[in-house]
Order: sequence, then C-alpha cells, then structure tokens
Amino acid sequence: MTVDPGTLAAIALLLPAASFLLLAVAYPLRRSGRVAGLVSILGAAGALAAALGAWARQTPEGMTRIAYEWIPQEAGSLATVGVLADADSTIMLVLVALVSLLVQVYSLGYLDAEPRPALGRYYTYQSLFAFSMMGVVLAPGFLQLFVFWELVGLCSYLLIGYWYERPEAARAAVKAFWITKAGDMGLLIGIVLLWYRAGTFDYLEIYDLVRAGQLSVAGLGLVTFCLYLGAMGKSAQFPLHVWLPDAMEGPTPVSALIHAATMVTAGVYLLRRTIWLFALTPDVLHLIGWIGAFTALLAAVLACVQSDIKRVLAYSTVSQLGYMMSAMGAGFAAAGFLHLLTHGVFKALLFLGAGAAIHATGTNDIYRMGGLRRALPQTHIVFVVGTLSLAGIPLFGGFYSKEEILGAVWSGRLVWPFWMLVVAAFLTAFYMFRVVFIAFWGERRADSHGGPHGHGGGHLHDAPAVMSVPLWILAVLSVGIGIYFVRHHGEPEFTAPGWLTPLAVGVAVGGIVLAWLTYQARVVSADDLARAFAPIRRAAQARFWLDDLFEGLYRGALLGLSRLVGWVDRYIVDGLVNMFSAWTLMWGDRLRRIQSGLPQDYVYGLAVGLLLLLIWVQWPR
Amino acid sequence: MPTSMPLQAYLVLAAVLFAIGLFGVVTRRNTIGILLGIELMLNSVNINLVAFARFAGDTAGLVFTVFTISITVAEVALGLALVILIFRVRRTVVADHLDLLQG
Amino acid sequence: MSLEPIAFGVLSVVLVASALAVVLTKNLFHSVLWLALALTGTAGIFLTLDAEFLAAVQLLLYAGGVVTIAVFAIVVTERLVGDRITQTSRQLTNGFVIAAAVLVGVLSFVLRAPQSGPRPPIAEDLTRAIGESVLTRYVLPFELLALLFLAALLGAIYFARPDD
Repeated sequence: MTVDPGTLAAIALLLPAASFLLLAVAYPLRRSGRVAGLVSILGAAGALAAALGAWARQTPEGMTRIAYEWIPQEAGSLATVGVLADADSTIMLVLVALVSLLVQVYSLGYLDAEPRPALGRYYTYQSLFAFSMMGVVLAPGFLQLFVFWELVGLCSYLLIGYWYERPEAARAAVKAFWITKAGDMGLLIGIVLLWYRAGTFDYLEIYDLVRAGQLSVAGLGLVTFCLYLGAMGKSAQFPLHVWLPDAMEGPTPVSALIHAATMVTAGVYLLRRTIWLFALTPDVLHLIGWIGAFTALLAAVLACVQSDIKRVLAYSTVSQLGYMMSAMGAGFAAAGFLHLLTHGVFKALLFLGAGAAIHATGTNDIYRMGGLRRALPQTHIVFVVGTLSLAGIPLFGGFYSKEEILGAVWSGRLVWPFWMLVVAAFLTAFYMFRVVFIAFWGERRADSHGGPHGHGGGHLHDAPAVMSVPLWILAVLSVGIGIYFVRHHGEPEFTAPGWLTPLAVGVAVGGIVLAWLTYQARVVSADDLARAFAPIRRAAQARFWLDDLFEGLYRGALLGLSRLVGWVDRYIVDGLVNMFSAWTLMWGDRLRRIQSGLPQDYVYGLAVGLLLLLIWVQWPR
Repeated sequence: MPTSMPLQAYLVLAAVLFAIGLFGVVTRRNTIGILLGIELMLNSVNINLVAFARFAGDTAGLVFTVFTISITVAEVALGLALVILIFRVRRTVVADHLDLLQG
Repeated sequence: MSLEPIAFGVLSVVLVASALAVVLTKNLFHSVLWLALALTGTAGIFLTLDAEFLAAVQLLLYAGGVVTIAVFAIVVTERLVGDRITQTSRQLTNGFVIAAAVLVGVLSFVLRAPQSGPRPPIAEDLTRAIGESVLTRYVLPFELLALLFLAALLGAIYFARPDD
C-alpha cells in the first residue's frame, strides 16, 4: 500500500498541532518541563518521519493537493483549506521538520537551567511554531498562507520574548512584531488585490489563469509589490531588516530555528511559490534583485563590526537572505531556493554551535571567549564546518548554492547587484573567520569562563550529548550536501560564465586570508583596518542610523497619530459625552428648583394643569 | 323669574365656590386654613354631583354624594390629626415652613 | 310658580359670601364658623334639588362633624402654642389670578354647553331609593367605606397619641 505524499505531508502538519494542543490544554503536562519537551520532540520526530516519507515518494513533477471547503459561497467555495505537496514544499517540509526536531532536542540541554513551567511554555511555543511553519510551507493558497504566516509571526514574537522579564527581550519581541506586521499589511493588501483580480486565493487556479494569459498584467505590479512587502518584512530585507538582529534576545536555539533556518526564509519561499506571478512584473523583480543585493552588502558590512557572536550571525542571516532574494529578483527562483535549503542547514549549525559556546562561557561577546578551540574541540570543529559552508568553500554546503546565485544574478543582467554580492561574499568570509579567530583561536581570556549557566570553576567543556549530537548531524549534513553537489551538478536554468567559480572561491579565500592576517597572524593591524574604513565603521556601528530613523518615524508618525486620536477621543468623543452629562446635570439642577417642597406650590401646579386641560378641551377646532 | 333653576345655575354656583376654595388653598398660610379651603372645594363638587343626579333622574349621583361626604369627613379627621402631629414635631402649622421635600 | 328660584338666589348669595369669608377672614376660628354657615347653605341647596336625605347628612356630618373637629384642632394647637393663632395669607395676587383663571375656564365650559332639559319628575322617595341602592348595588363600596372609617379612626388615634 502506498500512501501519497499529500497525506504524509498532512500528517507531518498535524502532528505538531496535536502536540501543541496537548501541551496547551493539559496544564500539568505543560508545567512538567522536560516531559512536555519530550511530547513536543515526539511530535517533531513523527513530523520529520512523515515529511521524509512524503519527500521520498515525491516525484519532481508530481503534485498532490488535498483541499477542504473553508469559506463557502454561492458557487463553489471562496477559500479552501488543505495541503499542496510538490517537490518544493516536501523538501522544505523536511528542512523545517529536521531543524525543528534538532533544535528541540538541543534545547533540552541548552535550557536545562530553566524552571519547569517556563520550559513547558517554551516547548508549547515550539510545537505551535513547527505546526505554523509547516502550514506556511504546505498552504495551497494565499489565504491559508496568510493565516499561518501570521501564526509564525506570533510564535516568533512569543519566543523572542521568552525571557520576558528582561526589558530588552520584551522590546525586541515587540519590535519584531511591529516591523513584520508592517510588511504583513502589504501582504494582506496584495492578497486581497490579487483576489479582486483573479477571484480566487488558490495558487493552482491563479497559475492556470496566468498560463492562459487571462490575468491582466496592467497594474499587477502593485499587487506583486504588496506581496513582496510581506516577504520583505518576514525575510528581513532592507529597510525592514532592523528587527532581526534584535530578535537575538531570544534563546539561541530559537534564533537557529526561527531567525535563521525557517521563518525568515518564508518570504523567499513565498516568492519561490509564486515566481510565475512575479515574472509578469519584471520591474518588481528588478527591484527585488537590487534590494536583495543591497541588503546582502549592507548586512555584511554591519556584521563586520559586531562583537556579539549572535548578532554577527544575525546580520549574516540578513545578508544571506539578501542573496536568496536577489536570485529571485534575477528570475531564477530555483537557485535562491537551493540556497535557502543549504543555508537552513549550515546556519542552524552555526547558531547551535554559537549556542554551545555561549552555554559554556556564559557570554555572547567574542572578545570575552577566546581560545575555545582547546576547551571546546567538538564545538570548534562543527562551527568551522558551518563557517566554511557559509563562506562558500568548495566541498562545503554553501559553496554550490552561493555560486548558483551569483551565476543567476549575472545571467539576469543585474551587473551592479552582482558586484555587490561579490563584495558581500568577501566580507562574509572575513567576518565569519573573524569570529572563528577571535573566539575559538586566539588566547584564552581570564574572564571567559563561568557564567549564568552554572559552569563556573574555570573548567570549560563541550556541550552534553543532547546538544552535540544535533550539532554533529547538521555538520555531517553540511559537508554531505557540499560533496553531493560536487558529484551531482543539477541542470542549471542558465549558463554561468567560466570565471565565476574561481572568482567566488577567490573572494572567499581572500576574506579568510584577510581575517587570518588581521586577527590571528596580526600582520595587519585591526586598528589600522578600522581607521582605513573609519566612516563606514562608524556608520555601521550606528547601524547606518536605520534604527534611529525608524524610531524617529515611530515617534513622529505613530505617536503623532496617537496624540491626534487621543485628542479626538479626549475632546470630541469624551467631550460629547461630558456635554450631555453636563447638560443633564444643569437641567436637573434647574428643574430641581421647581420642587420647592411647599404644598401650595404643588396646588398651583395642579391648577395650571387643570387650566391647560380646560383650554385644550375648548380649543376652537 | 323662571319656574325652576336650570342645571347651569347650579354648575356656575359650584364653579364659583370651587374657585373661592382654590383661592383659599393657595393663599392660606395656616394648614388648618388650607384644609378649610379644601372643604369648600369638595363641597362645590358635592353640589355638582347632586345637581347632575337630580337633572339626570338617576340616584347614583346621590349615593356617590353620600360616599364623598363620608370620605371627606374621614379625610378631615386624618388631616387635622396630621396637623396636630406636625405641630408637635415641628412646632409650626405654617405651610411655608413645611418644605422638607424641597429639591 | 314655586319658591325655588328665590330660595336658590338667596342661598347662592349666602354661600358665596360665607365662602369668601372663610378664605379671607383673619381669625381662624371665625373662618371655621363661616365654613359652618357655608356648609349649611349647601344643605339648603340640596333641599332645592329635592335631596332631603343628603341635606340631613350634610348638616350632620359636615356642619356637625367637620366643624367640630376643626374647632378641636384649633383649640388643641392654640393650647400647645399657648397663644392665639392668627392666620395670614400669602401671594394674594397669584392666588386670585389662578382662581379667576380656573373659574373662567370652568364657566366658559359650563356656559357653552347646550341648555339642559327640565328636571324630570321624582318617581319615588329619593331617600328610599338611596337606601336601596346602598344596600344592593353599592353594597361593596359601602362596606369598603366602613373599612375606611375604621382605618381613619385608627390612624387619627395613632397620630394624635401622646408622646412616648
């Protein structure tokens, strides 16, 4: 008996939902901490098994669609709910399930010092996130996509603010929520506009319309731009990237899962799903390509001046998302999607490795780590593997997909974005090896041991097995992917120039060499380097003043609007109410005087009433 | 000189008495005086009742007059008892001083 | 020809005059006496309407009962005050205006109504008719009246009880 991929994908989707519901409803289970974690891990493991099954059964051209009526209307249904399993969604499903599972297992070790109820809450959120992210992946239409899109945003908010007692974490959570919501408004508007034109939310139906040429292209640019705004917010594209570095206030496994491997790639994935729609509007695609490349370069520059290891990785994520987006913008979605998958693996590896270092030393600051190579040999190896993957060294995970992107952008005739990406690739290698040389090589700092995780006493050691096993799995996968692509070159949609591979490898090695010269051999003084690029450095340290700009906008526009609304509420809405109550009081006070309490005055009243009656009766008619 | 007075003559007489009683009720300061005015007004109503009954040839009006007279007497008895009670409590029978119900 | 119009005229003059005296005289005690005269005059009016029984009731209950109670009240309050109660009037103009307005309203209504027919002949003894009505058709109100008297009696006693 064969089960079709759609059913397996639906099972993968519903397993985390079941574990979430169980944890959310069963109060004692949730409060039990590690037991709740096991429930969630079981859900994720089942989801991974189902996802792998779906992927294995999936043929490259096959497509399974399960749809149930959701919103009925007179003819047919307005919206359906279900799953759409094809080659892209099943491989993405495997990535989400895999990273979810590994991160959840890893969290058992990383968050071992958490109180039980908090840990249970963490795993409840994790299950909800796995469900939501798979919903995004499998959604067969825009409306269902939007629902899950918002759900992952909610999970992101909840998990960034997991340590909600810390003001920075709470602020970061709100900031992430706000900024992605700004993009989501665009997405919602785009979805509604598209529905207005196409009359359906369903990908396949819209695809058929596009194929048949029945979707009018005039004015479609606005629709695709609005959709892109949603992707921009989620996938941290300039200028909406500012939330992602702050999102590092969440636990490191959360950063690995949500803010590196899965959720932030939802925007890229959305473009991958609907690239045929964007292809109708080349102007918007060009814009996407340019913004992607600019984001990649900007974030790479920013990453060079960070001393917080997680922030370096966060900017690196922004930068890599820019890569993916610019491949989309060049019109070669497959290249961007491939980088999404490989990046998901090695960036999760990097984050989890950084988490292991943070867990051991109790600090995020690379200058306070130092010399971890000897203290944490395993962590060191996997981190270097991840770094080499990210830098794009042959035989490692990121090499092939990154080169694909460069080739795609070049073939898409985006010349300037191409050179921006090349510079970004150089910087990527540089800043990543800067971290490696400072934190893992170098000399050991006196104050680099002991920390909030209770590993004090001067002895640093590698993470326990629950943490190191996921790291090794990811490391092996990173290398495996790299070797796989050396042996199997896929059929590219374009022909890359022959000088591309030497160039890509060259800039990567160049970046590594510069980092080695600066931070390890100290041939080049870091201070001289800093002086040479002083203006850029200062700007980067101020995050190019973008946060200040947003803050100013927030202060000016939003608070201004709030003040206006507050004024209206206070003086017009409340004013009306107060006016009526004041009138009531005033007239009550005046009418009160009629009640003199003197009996004879009431007799006057009676007599006047009698007179009025007499006049009324005798009134000439 | 007519052989007998018409109904209107009685009604006019009653109206005049009623107006005089009303005048007394609204102008007297003493509560007993007010009660006397009320008596006059009720009296005029009785005249009306009897006159209508006589001219309509129906005894119901007469019976009701018996009732009103009786009820009036009871009311006066209670009213004057109240006056005495008020006087005992407030030391006054002047209606102007009895303004506890003032708004 | 009968004496009725003449009697009505005389009684009217007496009634109006005594009523005016009731509301205008300064001496409260005199007021009560004038009221007694007015009530007696009303009894006379009842006689001209062939209601002898009501005239008797009027004299007994009103002129007798009410006046007696009023005199008692005056005497009691005067004794409590320890001084003679003089009574004054207030807002004479206002009172006159409102009373005159009501009078005009009622009179215009009465005088504009169509002239009534002559009074019908008396079929039987009115006193007997009243007595039969009270004990047959109006027996329930009559009994209720008895109850009311009882309540009034108790209430008056309760109000007028000496201080505890």
